[in-house]
Amino acid sequence: MSKLYISTATCLLIALAGALPAHAAGTLKVCADPDYLPYSNRAGQGFENAVAETVAKAMGAKLEYVWADMRGHGGFPEYLSRNLDSGKCDVVMSMPYGNDEELTTDPYYVSSYVFVFKKDKGYNIENMNSPDLRKLKLGFEGDTPVEAGLQLRGLVTSAKSFDISESSGQSPRSTLDAVQNGQIDVMITWQPAIGAFMHDYPELTTVALPNTRATGSPEMYSFPMSMAVRKGDDALRNKLNNVIKQQKSALTGVLHQHGVQLFGDGDSASASQMANL
Amino acid sequence: MFKPSVRFWRPAARVACLALLLPGIAAANEQLDKLSQDHNQWVIPAGNYAGHRYSGLNQITPDNVKNLHVAWTMSTGSLRGHEGQPLVVGDTMFFESSFPNYVYAVSLKEPGRILWKFAPQQDKFAPSVACCDVVNRGVAYSNGVIYANALDGFLYALDAKDGSVKWKVQNADPKLGQTQTMAPLVIKNVVITGVSGAEYGVHGYVTANDAATGKQVWRAFSTGPDDQLLFDPNKTIDGATGKPVGKDSSLSSWEGEQWKLGGGTTWGWYTYDPKLNLLYYGTGNPGTWNPTQRPGDNKYSMSIIARNPETGKAAWVFQMTPHDGWDYDGVNENILTDSNIDGKNVATLTHFDRNGFAYVLDRRTGKLLSAKKFDAVVNWADHIDMATGKPVLNPAMMTKEGENVKGICPSSQGSKDQQPAAYDPNTKLFYVPTNHVCMDYQAFNVKYKAGFPYVGALVNMYPANHGDVGGRFIAFDPVSGQTKWAIDDRFQDWGGALTTGGGLVFYGTLTGEFRAVDIKSGKVLWKFKAPSGIIGNPITYTYQGKQYVAILSGVGGWAAIGLAENLTKATEGLGAVGATASLSDYTNLGGTLLVFALD
Repeated sequence: MSKLYISTATCLLIALAGALPAHAAGTLKVCADPDYLPYSNRAGQGFENAVAETVAKAMGAKLEYVWADMRGHGGFPEYLSRNLDSGKCDVVMSMPYGNDEELTTDPYYVSSYVFVFKKDKGYNIENMNSPDLRKLKLGFEGDTPVEAGLQLRGLVTSAKSFDISESSGQSPRSTLDAVQNGQIDVMITWQPAIGAFMHDYPELTTVALPNTRATGSPEMYSFPMSMAVRKGDDALRNKLNNVIKQQKSALTGVLHQHGVQLFGDGDSASASQMANL
Repeated sequence: MFKPSVRFWRPAARVACLALLLPGIAAANEQLDKLSQDHNQWVIPAGNYAGHRYSGLNQITPDNVKNLHVAWTMSTGSLRGHEGQPLVVGDTMFFESSFPNYVYAVSLKEPGRILWKFAPQQDKFAPSVACCDVVNRGVAYSNGVIYANALDGFLYALDAKDGSVKWKVQNADPKLGQTQTMAPLVIKNVVITGVSGAEYGVHGYVTANDAATGKQVWRAFSTGPDDQLLFDPNKTIDGATGKPVGKDSSLSSWEGEQWKLGGGTTWGWYTYDPKLNLLYYGTGNPGTWNPTQRPGDNKYSMSIIARNPETGKAAWVFQMTPHDGWDYDGVNENILTDSNIDGKNVATLTHFDRNGFAYVLDRRTGKLLSAKKFDAVVNWADHIDMATGKPVLNPAMMTKEGENVKGICPSSQGSKDQQPAAYDPNTKLFYVPTNHVCMDYQAFNVKYKAGFPYVGALVNMYPANHGDVGGRFIAFDPVSGQTKWAIDDRFQDWGGALTTGGGLVFYGTLTGEFRAVDIKSGKVLWKFKAPSGIIGNPITYTYQGKQYVAILSGVGGWAAIGLAENLTKATEGLGAVGATASLSDYTNLGGTLLVFALD
């Protein structure tokens, strides 16, 4: 399916490449979802809204949103082709660093997939090989490295797939509710998807998944995240890179305020505390 | 931290030990070189600057090795992979555990007594960004100071007497995906360290810090403009052509600004030639996994680089695997010996690359003298073109986007990974722990679906020919390409080798069998089942005139495939565990130092 989306995107890109409008001077046109917290919403409450505001301000540009449902028909690939590639908007706020479908900026944060579970359960969960996982009811976001990791360990058939990224209008909160009400014991999901909601679930805690090669091929659970512009729009990409460099602490602050957990967060733990990591 | 309550230095001080107490660090390098020639001690991670991992000690021989037994042991306090080795200086042993990177000074006088223990405070996210287990490859020593890298990128200078921190400096930042696993090397007045993390598109580099103060003296990147590489376009030689590299030779081998996430990390073993005053090391895979995303030769990933250790200026460079599509990191050790090339004695460097070829280079110029396969199953390239230094590729074995390429040999783990080989000056052969593993490979692509990042990736590894031999320990002549003898093992041989003047070679297996082998015949004369699988490197030394052999046991790292819970079938899940599917039947995690002696 996703291959089909990509080719659609590429065709549109080629068709429109000659006729793309130049960026309106002094305006930053951001593609965003009007109803997908914690990422963004029309009221500007998401962390991507906050990042966009910070960036626009630093550039001295007017912030203009082009709203579209990321999880509508054709999913994220079609969202990109209809909005970014077509030139309706000029930047999306989240894209893993090194993606080759669009042009990515330097990364502005690194975060990770996490295990989410009730603090008082006392599970001993450190990584995908922790024996406790075999005894527990697991939930995960489908079509992610987590699904591949579970599949590799023969755990995927007994686990419940949550398809937040493909279910328009569904909040990632629902994955936390499922842990809260005991439907599942351990949810494995992308931390930025749930970080903003964690303060509403004081009984829950998170543990980051370490990357591993324990089963041969590299398993990546943490990702450096960038913004993305159209391929060929090096001018805007370079401007954004400057902002990322100069506004590093402002961007970090904004992400923290919205509950996004970043690598390097917090005080260093003592070696003895970390022996079990 | 524990205070030493016993006398630290051996009372019957060797001249070298006394010299250590003298002020003036200018002579530190010469002292270290001299100290390393005293085979009663083991003062450099690889035994000597040349990386021989050889000791002239000859009390333990093929005749009496059957009487070898455990003298003493101790836990390292860490469960993860131990890829390093202890040092022995005077009457003290120093070693570092895997993360959380405990550093120990242990008395030989009261064996196992901990004189001091250093536990660094670390960035708690460092383990999350380490690609292949949180391993460590050991400490370095010079002039009364122990230099230790911690996973979170800090280099510590510890007073060898009491473990107190003389200085610390951060050379790698886990927030950027950078971690630190390699053993530092002290040369003259500088401490040389590399960096890990090519999986994150880290822009690889080597750093030299002042040994006395920690101040950065130079940093040289693996990819990018000449001034960042510390390349002189007119003087730095391309070993493959024998000519200067020319202006921006790295930049022109990348598209656009991709060199900025160019990889070329530097986490292997380093060697040094005091006469030529050249430091030798290798660089790892280019950044971004998918080769179709990064057209070009991707210089200088997958290369050997020779630098002046004081200035960082590059004398020469030689790239083994241009435009890598297989993850054949070029970080393996470069062993410095003399070789007989067409009847002439040449100062050479021998490098058993992950790509399955044993490169012999003239270490003065980087000129390629020989490149023979050290495992016959290698099929990604037919041979190395001696005129260009480039591999002659097998097009069917090049990885491509979205396509599963089957039966590539070797696997991404290489015909040999970081597990260091040893050289025996008597037989003039190299003793090489190898991997005998092939793979099916589907290249990587980082993608995003609304709100969630992911990668497309499939690697399926299995013993060559789907057989039951996953590792071979070989006695090899790189110039003739001849394997004198080989010991087949079920799993990859991921531990290093030690050769001795007694006519023995020591190494450990992934299952935890520590072996002494007759260096001439390849016959296993003695073995001991260690508590955990061995991925560390044996050393030998004397105390009060008696020879000891020491090894760190503690399986982990990329080697310990399949040790994960219940991964017993090669076909299970995505099926990437075939190579070591049943390792959990043989061993378990846990770091232990083992010391052996005769009666």
